[in-house]
Amino acid sequence: MKCLELMDVSYRYEGSKDYVLKKISASFEAGKVYAIVGESGAGKSTLLSLLSGLDSCKEGTILYNGKNLQEIDRDEYRSKNVGVIFQNYNLLLNSTAVYNITLSMKISGDMASKEQAYALLKNVGIDRETTDRKILKLSGGEQQRVGIARALAHNPDVIIADEPTGNLDEKTEAEILEIFTHLAQEDGKCVIIVTHSDNVSSVGDVVYRIAGGKISTIG
Amino acid sequence: MYVIEHALLNLGKNKGRNILLGVITLAIITATVVAMGIFNTTRVVIEDTRAATMSAIRIQPIGRTQMTGSSQQESAITLEMHQYFAESLYITGADISDSGRGIEAVYYLIHPDMLGAFESDLRGRGLPDAYTVRTDDAAFASLVAPIENLQSLSVAFLIIILVMGAVIMVLVTAVSIRERKYEIGVLRAMGMKKKSVALGLWAEIIVITCICFIIGMGIGAALTQPVTDSILAGQSQAAGPTTLADRINNAPQTEAVTVDVSITFTTSLQIFAISIVLASVAGIISITRITKYEPIKILMERT
Ligand SMILES: Nc1ncnc2c1ncn2[C@@H]1O[C@H](COP(=O)(O)OP(=O)(O)O)[C@@H](O)[C@H]1O
Ligand SMILES: [Mg+2]
Repeated sequence: MKCLELMDVSYRYEGSKDYVLKKISASFEAGKVYAIVGESGAGKSTLLSLLSGLDSCKEGTILYNGKNLQEIDRDEYRSKNVGVIFQNYNLLLNSTAVYNITLSMKISGDMASKEQAYALLKNVGIDRETTDRKILKLSGGEQQRVGIARALAHNPDVIIADEPTGNLDEKTEAEILEIFTHLAQEDGKCVIIVTHSDNVSSVGDVVYRIAGGKISTIG
Repeated sequence: MYVIEHALLNLGKNKGRNILLGVITLAIITATVVAMGIFNTTRVVIEDTRAATMSAIRIQPIGRTQMTGSSQQESAITLEMHQYFAESLYITGADISDSGRGIEAVYYLIHPDMLGAFESDLRGRGLPDAYTVRTDDAAFASLVAPIENLQSLSVAFLIIILVMGAVIMVLVTAVSIRERKYEIGVLRAMGMKKKSVALGLWAEIIVITCICFIIGMGIGAALTQPVTDSILAGQSQAAGPTTLADRINNAPQTEAVTVDVSITFTTSLQIFAISIVLASVAGIISITRITKYEPIKILMERT
């Protein structure tokens, strides 16, 4: 079943006349892991911000479960339906790890449970002692893991990750990839991962490449 | 609601910034308290002066509205007659002097309402119909003019504080909210609605303002009296010794121009409303400027 669908999507940044994305079409289904590869500056992050409703798609159409993202409440879409793991984490730096998770639950309208938050953090390898420290005082790798836990906190249908394992060692990377494949296969989530790593793209059921503003399937 | 809870938690998380914002807000509120205190004081002084001058009475020949010093007609009332008039029970006393160029006399009523009774009394004592018994308009004008100056001064002071305060608040809030662009971007990215983000930031500003209001009321109330006293002292020196004013001031029932200032409940409410409106306007300007962008733009533009 098509979860997200891009139809003739073009995008250029305000004040720039060059298109980053040129009339691209692609689809993403529930229960699968998608890897998106491409050179630096190809437009991978740009595509993710459109898919995650962080930016608005003014040319072409993006459908989420058949509904045009331009026409639905994108705040609600981000808070309930999609979980984003940012390349630079984008966590609340002055708050604790566990607060970042419970706030995400609250924004989505869920009951916030600290126990659930601790469990999510434990799942990505953050021990109990670290959960109550401010994000500022965590290492890059720890912040990345908190970012992953936060993306899962409100149980979204779509998980979008920009270089989610860039700051992790191989062992942790493997654990995180295990979580992603589990989310797709067991929980039926649609997982979209931008990556440079062959390890990561190897878990993709589908691998898309972005180059020259166009998207193509590999393999 | 979690938005308010989040706002309250934030207050404690950013102590440095909030204290800076608080100190500036406190200064503005304190200045407003003092300005409002002075404004209210001048109003009281003018009312007091009016009450006092309403009690100062002159006898004038009909056809002359203003007493301009000596006059031949008025000298028609003799010194003895004036002294006889001064025995009236409706007055507390009188200043009667003969400068050699004419007699000047001012009578001080026990109460402004007694003008009619005093006049009848004087007619009974032989005051000719060619003379009127009237309040000392010249004295009122000369006494009130400097105080009215003081009042317009205090209004100007209040306006300057409010305008400058508004500008400073807008700038300071803008800077402090710009600093939080990243945080706002993160909240928006997590799906928090513009309205909720704005409500949370506004709630933070309002809590800071309320704390500053309480402290500012205390400091302002303590400062208002000394500031008022020194301004009044400076004012009466600047005005110089006008004979009429001196006479009014020396009159038995006229208070000296010192006023006990107290910040009334109404004044506090006005100051509270002013503080909240200032802080809200400043906050809303900055907040709407930032939240109008797509979340990704807010996040990318962090500097
Ligand atoms: N805010 C922006 N304004 C203008 N151009 C931008 C902005 N962000 C990214 N770009 C440009 O868009 C292109 C794609 O960027 P991005 O999507 O971040 O690439 P990737 O994630 O694939 O490395 C790059 O050429 C980049 O310079
Ligand atoms: Mg990128």
